[in-house]
Amino acid sequence: MKIQVFLCVLLSFVSTAFTQEKQIDFNSEKNIKKFADYLFCDKDYLRAAEEYQRLNAYKENDTIIFKSGLSYLFIGDYSTSIDNFAKISNSSLFYKNSKLEQMKAHYLKKDYSVMRSFYKNNFTNEYDYSDQAEKLFYFSYLVSEDQLPQKEKFLIPFNSNENEIISSFYDWKNDPPYKSSALAGILSAIIPGSGKIYTGDISDGIFSFLVTGVFTFLAYDNFHADHDTRAWIFTGLAAFFYGGNVYGSVAAAQIHNAKITFEFNDGLNVFLQNKNYFVPVYDFCN
Amino acid sequence: MIFVTKIRVISFILFIPVLLLQAQDSFEEQFQLAKNLYVKENYYDAITELKRLLFFDNGGKYLFEANDLIGQCYKQGGKFTDAIRYFILAEINTKNPDQVYKEKVGIVRINILRKTTESAFRILNSLETDSRFKDKIDITNYWRGWAYIFSDDWVNAEATFAKIDSAHQLQKLAEKVNNELYSVGFAKAISYIIPGAGQIYTGEYLSGIMSLGWNVLWGYLTVQAFAADRIFDGIMIANFLFLRFYRGNLQNAENFAIEKNLKISNNALHYLQYEYKGLKP
Amino acid sequence: MFKIVLIIVSLFTLVTTAQTDWVKWGKTEINYEKKDRTRHKDYSYHGGSISELAVKTLANAYWFFISDLDGDNCPFSPTCSSFLLQSVKETNVVQGTLMFFDRFTRDYNFIERYNRYPREKDGHYYDPVSLYTLNVDKIKYIPPSAVVEP
Repeated sequence: MKIQVFLCVLLSFVSTAFTQEKQIDFNSEKNIKKFADYLFCDKDYLRAAEEYQRLNAYKENDTIIFKSGLSYLFIGDYSTSIDNFAKISNSSLFYKNSKLEQMKAHYLKKDYSVMRSFYKNNFTNEYDYSDQAEKLFYFSYLVSEDQLPQKEKFLIPFNSNENEIISSFYDWKNDPPYKSSALAGILSAIIPGSGKIYTGDISDGIFSFLVTGVFTFLAYDNFHADHDTRAWIFTGLAAFFYGGNVYGSVAAAQIHNAKITFEFNDGLNVFLQNKNYFVPVYDFCN
Repeated sequence: MIFVTKIRVISFILFIPVLLLQAQDSFEEQFQLAKNLYVKENYYDAITELKRLLFFDNGGKYLFEANDLIGQCYKQGGKFTDAIRYFILAEINTKNPDQVYKEKVGIVRINILRKTTESAFRILNSLETDSRFKDKIDITNYWRGWAYIFSDDWVNAEATFAKIDSAHQLQKLAEKVNNELYSVGFAKAISYIIPGAGQIYTGEYLSGIMSLGWNVLWGYLTVQAFAADRIFDGIMIANFLFLRFYRGNLQNAENFAIEKNLKISNNALHYLQYEYKGLKP
Repeated sequence: MFKIVLIIVSLFTLVTTAQTDWVKWGKTEINYEKKDRTRHKDYSYHGGSISELAVKTLANAYWFFISDLDGDNCPFSPTCSSFLLQSVKETNVVQGTLMFFDRFTRDYNFIERYNRYPREKDGHYYDPVSLYTLNVDKIKYIPPSAVVEP
């Protein structure tokens, strides 16, 4: 009898210990959050965001909502990230950060007018991050087609080490070094190829000159040798090459302008990414 | 009395494993959940559940199975680079040589699918020389044959399948393809000698005849110009006309042979993908 | 040692793996067949004005009697003859002809192509009609370092 009791007790301890080792509730709040945090730090943002949204605490815990918003921001779902940031209460530690992140999301969505209204409605008072917000506010004028503010006012929010480059961006945007299509066409009409040289296509300009010149010479030479049929063929070809050269110079100026605009916008993107869009870098993973 | 006690003790001892088996293993449940998602072709969510399993699996019991299944999920989604990464992770956590072989073959099959067959051959060569896998040489040769097919080397594919079985279905397929394929080198070679011959060899008769015609015409005019001491004219015709069409003839001979061969091999690949019943990459 | 290298490589690349999954994906059908990368000419007519039909007929005749026989000599994509057809279709005969002669002149310039035009995967320089219609809104600049999908 004593042995039976002893064996029962021993059995229950062993089985309890064994099953506890194999038992884990993967879907408990605590474990979902642990896993979501791991995914966030592993940069698996979409999965992290979906896990955060499974949490009951999602509706109440501002850290979770903020990280969820950041996750959607990183994967490019700007609308959902804005919705998440907007849920953060004004008593939260992340409230001011969430406002700045919303501004960034609007900027990335290219909703510049919405971003500027948001800035005016949320950052008017002296406030943490108002400097960063103001920088992004003014920077957006460099990428949109809206009228630029005055230069002195524009440069105010930027630091002394940013001033030089921002000033050069401003000057470019204010007066871009475009080439005139009309001038390129006129130059090529006078001297074939010169319009393309004016737009920076030097080798194209030289070849335009040579090709037009060769066919013109062949036309002249054949007229001189009384080979009228061949002469008229070469004349026609020379005329077409001449017309093509003028047309091509006009197009070359437009392409040149598109090229330098592309390079300017690329430069803006690189600068802004290096500055992390004037938004702080968060360290949730250490 | 003592006998009854002994029976009771034995019953308790026998009852312990029954109780232990009935204890729910949540890790195994989680793995089965992921597997069910995989079977239902819900690959993205299957990966989520497998990652969850791996995160909590401190003992590392599922390192091989879970990483292998994640690799399979990525493979089904066409994300081959990611699949290979997870197969490598599974290979690091294998428990026996059979699992090592399975993962290496998994990586070979992906390299075949994404047509990076040099990597597939490298792994297959290492499997062939590995003494642990001597008994699996037929399987190794089977996938080597597939790698040859995907690198468009039907001659070696035929020879490789023949090593498994001289009447292997894929050996017969490769033999049929080899008999139908055009020789690109031969098409080019005869076009060097007679312009247009390569095109005629590949069945493009009109193109061959027209190519021959142009080459004869410009060749004749070139010779005539040189014969009449019109050297400049001769050079112009030779360079801008005769050589242009002669080069074109060679290009066309090569391109037509390649195009026809592409059609032939694509027919075979289509059969392999949709009608062949054996194991596929 | 090899296992350590494998672990390091796998862990490092796992970080970039995560970026694959920033969008939900499903099963993909993998096609065994190889793509035909040769440039084929479309001889068929697709309607249009009389001038377009006339230019198309000229182009078809050129392709049939000459271009199909003298090899692939155009470094650009689309080819000069296709460029003519597309430019006539997008603009008109006169403008299209001028665009064609400008393209033909640029064809002679073998010096700075790699610095000027992006490339397609088969090595041809990408030079679409949309850049030359004089419609600024249609110009989508692609830098020369880019590789363009045909």
